[in-house]
Amino acid sequence: MTETVQLFVTCILDTLYPQIGESVVHVLERAGVQVAFPDGQTCCGQPAFNAGLRGQARPVAQHTIQVFEGTQGPVVIPSGSCAAMIRHGYLELFADDPHWLPRAQALAARTYEFSEFLVDYLRVTDVGARYRGKLSYHSSCHLLRDLGVSRQPRALLAAVREAELVDLPYSEECCGFGGVFSAEHPQISSAMLVRKMANIEASGAPLVVSCDAGCITNINGGLHRAGKPQRAVHLAEILDQS
Amino acid sequence: MSDIFHQKIQKALADPNLQAALDGNAERRISAREQAYASLPEDLQTMRQRAHAVRAETIANLDHYLEQFIARAQANGLIVHRAADAAQAVQVVLEIARQKDAHLVAKSKTMVGEEIEVNRALEAAGLKVVETDLGEYIVQLRGERPAHIITPAVHLRRAQVGQTFHEKLGLPLTDDIPTLTSAARRILRQTFLEADIGISGVNFGVAESGTLCIVTNEGNGRMVTTLPRVHIALMGMERLVPTLDDLALMLSLLPRSATGQKLSVYTSLIHGPRRDGELDGPDERHLVLVDNGRSAMRRSPLAEALYCIRCGACLNACPVFREIGGHAYVSVHGEGSPYPGPIGSIVSPALFGQQEFGQLARASSLCGACKEACPVDIDLPKLLLRVRAGGEDLKSTRDPSGVPPAMSWGLRLYNWAARSPWRFASAQRATAFFSRLLAPASGWLHLPAFTGWGYSRDLPRPAARSFHQRWAAGQVEHNSAFEAPQPPAQADAGEVQESRTRGMAQAELVERFEHELSELGGTMTSCHAADLPTALLALLQARQIKALLAWDEDQLPSGILGALQEAGIEVLHRPDPGVKVGLTGALAGIAETGTLVLPSGQGRMLSASLLPEVHIAVLRISDLRPSLEQVFKEANAGSLQQVRQASALALISGPSRTADIEMTLTIGVHGPGEVNVFCLED
Repeated sequence: MTETVQLFVTCILDTLYPQIGESVVHVLERAGVQVAFPDGQTCCGQPAFNAGLRGQARPVAQHTIQVFEGTQGPVVIPSGSCAAMIRHGYLELFADDPHWLPRAQALAARTYEFSEFLVDYLRVTDVGARYRGKLSYHSSCHLLRDLGVSRQPRALLAAVREAELVDLPYSEECCGFGGVFSAEHPQISSAMLVRKMANIEASGAPLVVSCDAGCITNINGGLHRAGKPQRAVHLAEILDQS
Repeated sequence: MSDIFHQKIQKALADPNLQAALDGNAERRISAREQAYASLPEDLQTMRQRAHAVRAETIANLDHYLEQFIARAQANGLIVHRAADAAQAVQVVLEIARQKDAHLVAKSKTMVGEEIEVNRALEAAGLKVVETDLGEYIVQLRGERPAHIITPAVHLRRAQVGQTFHEKLGLPLTDDIPTLTSAARRILRQTFLEADIGISGVNFGVAESGTLCIVTNEGNGRMVTTLPRVHIALMGMERLVPTLDDLALMLSLLPRSATGQKLSVYTSLIHGPRRDGELDGPDERHLVLVDNGRSAMRRSPLAEALYCIRCGACLNACPVFREIGGHAYVSVHGEGSPYPGPIGSIVSPALFGQQEFGQLARASSLCGACKEACPVDIDLPKLLLRVRAGGEDLKSTRDPSGVPPAMSWGLRLYNWAARSPWRFASAQRATAFFSRLLAPASGWLHLPAFTGWGYSRDLPRPAARSFHQRWAAGQVEHNSAFEAPQPPAQADAGEVQESRTRGMAQAELVERFEHELSELGGTMTSCHAADLPTALLALLQARQIKALLAWDEDQLPSGILGALQEAGIEVLHRPDPGVKVGLTGALAGIAETGTLVLPSGQGRMLSASLLPEVHIAVLRISDLRPSLEQVFKEANAGSLQQVRQASALALISGPSRTADIEMTLTIGVHGPGEVNVFCLED
């Protein structure tokens, strides 16, 4: 029987990039699973959590836990920091709450980031994608350091037919997004983004692939403002090309 | 955005000298650390986890270890003081200075000293305090705070240091780093010799032995703990490890993380004041254990930050520190903190006030580079988030201080929407609609700078129809499964690295020792005991040396001093700063790091390996050991007991060095600039 996964599309993809959400669905289906989309989902609560507003973050996290509690199977999230929020942030948020902690743990245990789910859970690296051109890869911070996911997206990209994967210098350096940080400390955030954009330019690839909607929004926002031709794309968008 | 913190940030970003200096720091330190990690005897992650566990257990049982440590230290002859806060700590130091009628204090690096502002208090009491670490000396001359916990003058370029030396010391203007360094050596040498009191920090206290471990590269740490008649060590009460074995683990990580060295040039293990019959070392050693908020911090959700071993790796790895430097990390009132960077953004609010310093934790993208760099695996992003949440009661439903009001209200509205799918969907439709009014023709919104986001970025316009809407309308296309060829199974990456030094044969030990020492800029010559006088004389004659400081006859291979005297070399057995060469034996040599192990004791002058420009050591091949860990093991087992018992033990890894100006390695600061080892075949 085909396995069903629950897609948590995340607030940014839902609102800004529904087309990436569609690519995620296509790729997951090509990888052989059925995709369900729990309707009540909104946001994981990360913005308030990162802002230090835990009193505000908890009810939003509880809402998310409740939405997915009514479903079965793995929860797949196409954004590293949101997956990290549920896997680690929720445990911190409910550390002293005997009622919600086990429920948060249960959700954390079945939550996967998109590339991690494909490679580690489904053991799929080739989804039949074809993309003609140069690509580089930006290691999103929460994905890399909080979830330890790095070889998975690289393996998926390596299997894309005709794609030429080039090195992004200092790929593991932060792009300067950091959620609320980007609005609270725009000067520092922008200085970091300038460094990232220079490295993207130096890579020679017109597209830089990421697995985090936050990084994509930040990098593209900067590239567009600066009038640069390069763009950041989500891994699913590349894997959806055939 | 016009508060003091943001002003400091703006100023730092607009300073091209600072930006160049910080780029240089990040690039050199990160690659040096990575290279040094590659030489670890075991897997880095395993060692980090072990170090984390040691520090966690120490902090959890701190009272027990403190009691043990204090009892052992007192038995060793240290005078131990406990200070509940900065004022008490300063009072202890002032009282000692008063009793000793002291006028001049020579100080080596101590972050706790910065924290309690001991200089200011001593100066107010009429004493002269001279910082002797080159970087600290530079910032002291400029009237600044250290900008980094390891590299105090990280914010300066060589020309600025030259300018400072020109203005404050009257030196001819130069930006030549060796010239600047030797000027500092000359001036500070006088301070070491004349100081009444030496003040140092402490890197680690060892509970089981009462040992103080102090790590420096320039030699100033050895100077201030050896030459003045009184030594005062300032130590944060959390800086303990239970055993010497744990110390070996920490010492394998600290220098690598801090400066990319396998071992710092000088690792001093101090047990007590000068003993009867010893020629040098202070008459009194005091230890001031400083609490100053640490006990409260230990009970708070920020306790994990007490695991910190002050290596500075998180500062070097941090992309925010790289942009703004250490001096921008200020309180809401504009006061600096001795602890900048990621760890400082946790420690400063924990020790000096959440209201004042809590804002620092908000200046982080939470990228986790700090955690990744931390040799004791402190979860810094988690702790930064706890500071943001108020640092104390994390369950509170009230807003913590420091959240910008507009952000708080904006998020309140957003979160209210996010708790209801209907409200959320309505909000999405509203933003989609209004964003089309704002930017009808473009896919991008050009927000103004005051929004923060619009400072340097455009915002993609929200989609006309959200994913939710597309899914509900059945607009999301569905695919069938793709039959991919199965990828080959991946090999397990967790190969266990074999220990590179355990069970080394003697020949290997010699070879490794020679290699490591030469990497550090020292030399090793193998010879038979019978050939030693000739070899030594050749070395002395090549340098036109007529006199040397030496350990006593019975501490060196027999006949060697007689042979030198016969050849017309004057041999002195007292600490004479005018002599250019020092001749010592060595208790042991450590192959893995090219290190000499020199205990103090009767007939074994500490100064002979410290004051002269050239240090010559005679080491027997059979005294070579593979690792520091092995040396500590034998110290416990009995064969190298002096390691635990000497009033002071110096572990010397090559010539004195500094990289305090622009990370540029300069040899020969306060200690010898030349280390020559004669390795005697048995």
